[in-house]
Amino acid sequence: MAATRLYTKGRILGHKRGKRNSRPNQSLVQIEGVDSKEAARHYLGKRVAYVYKAKREINGSKVRVIWGRISRPHGNSGAAKAKFRTNLPAKVFGASVRIMLFPSTI
Amino acid sequence: MARSQPIAPNVGRLSRSQVSAKRGLFKGKKTSAAPAKPETPAHTEKTVGGKANGEKRLVPTNKASKYYPAEDVRKPRVSRKTPGKTALRSSITPGTVLILLAGRFSGKRVVFLKQLDSGLLLVSGPFKINGVPLRRVSQAYVIATSTKVDISNVTVPETVNDSFFAKAKAAKSTKEGEFFGEGKEKKAFPEEKKSEQKAVDAALLASIKKVDNLAKYLKASWGLSKSDRFHELKF
Amino acid sequence: MHPGTGRLKRQSTFKRFVEVGRVVLVNDGPSAGKLAVIVEIIDHNRALIDGPTTSVPRQAFPYRNLILTPYTLANLPRAAGSGPLKKALEKAGVLEKWEQSGWAKKLAARQTRKNSSDFDRFQVQLAKKSRRDLVRKAYVKEKKASA
Repeated sequence: MAATRLYTKGRILGHKRGKRNSRPNQSLVQIEGVDSKEAARHYLGKRVAYVYKAKREINGSKVRVIWGRISRPHGNSGAAKAKFRTNLPAKVFGASVRIMLFPSTI
Repeated sequence: MARSQPIAPNVGRLSRSQVSAKRGLFKGKKTSAAPAKPETPAHTEKTVGGKANGEKRLVPTNKASKYYPAEDVRKPRVSRKTPGKTALRSSITPGTVLILLAGRFSGKRVVFLKQLDSGLLLVSGPFKINGVPLRRVSQAYVIATSTKVDISNVTVPETVNDSFFAKAKAAKSTKEGEFFGEGKEKKAFPEEKKSEQKAVDAALLASIKKVDNLAKYLKASWGLSKSDRFHELKF
Repeated sequence: MHPGTGRLKRQSTFKRFVEVGRVVLVNDGPSAGKLAVIVEIIDHNRALIDGPTTSVPRQAFPYRNLILTPYTLANLPRAAGSGPLKKALEKAGVLEKWEQSGWAKKLAARQTRKNSSDFDRFQVQLAKKSRRDLVRKAYVKEKKASA
């Protein structure tokens, strides 16, 4: 059987920001299929993984991950704020991330 | 004492400066009581020269420090709290079918047997159906479904506890031996674990067979597909 | 230009109108998914609706959150009270007709699908699989017979 997907897809919209200044310690994430604040609340605390490939191997793997967590909803249309262990670089904007289904509360 | 109880893991309630103000390190260093050391006699006898000195004298083993703090330093009180048992989610009861979300068996549907003393959940595939052995999982990495398996006739033996899952300590191998690839034979799976697994699963399999399609259900693994909205799914 | 307004009405493609006595499906708010009746037209944004048989409280409601159904209560007077409205609804048998309709069945099916458990979904998947199997086998058999 095909490998099962155990995460929801999401997209990095950018850093949290004001009109002029950006605050890179939180990133905005749009979660697939989520279009209201209430729906976004289901994902609070869930782990987010930005998975990417790099040239140099570390521990025998070229795949690297930046982990984060969904911290709060952003606006009324289902976007969410996420805090990553290290701030996401700006080249990630528009890239897809995995919203894991844990820590689970159901 | 948790000064900044997290809103979500890794997301603190207080800012860095608020925590620092609460910790109050600027008031002076705090020390907590160290574990008791084996007692050494406070004084030792020593012979002393000179006639007028009485030949012997008790000398303190550790000389008292000349320094003492001019100001009193507050000592934090020793906490008498002990960690309680992990609260089990209300949706998880013995017999609940769980979906594992992470790890080697992620996506598999398993049966919850009981909560161990460590707070972890004891689950079984059963092994014969989906290859998941008796295993411990954290409830954070699990989806509880509304499906229940009747496990009233299943008895979990006393030996299946947290120490049952502890790794056997490997005998230290010499460096030279390791270099030549010695002592690296694959260890056979312990017989008693096999029998324990069979004992638990026999009754479990019997009650699974009574419900139509339940065995097929446990054999299949779960995953999100394209149009699934995880927040709208009911389990 | 149409000749004569009398014929225009007959030619219209619209069949459901906002009118007193029109049965509507509430599409928003706490009574979403329930049937109600337009009792009075307030203006061209809102109407007064009431649903005494479906426990929709009498209230002003915007049209954009109402869906018109094909049912009407003929000769319902303007601003009828809840009592007479209930009688009229029961006499016309609107609720029975609604429950028989494909529309209502579809909504109900959607609801049961939404509330189904993981095990239910799995069993539906199995049923679909076996149906596919039967259809495919029958098709191959027919094909061979005709060839």
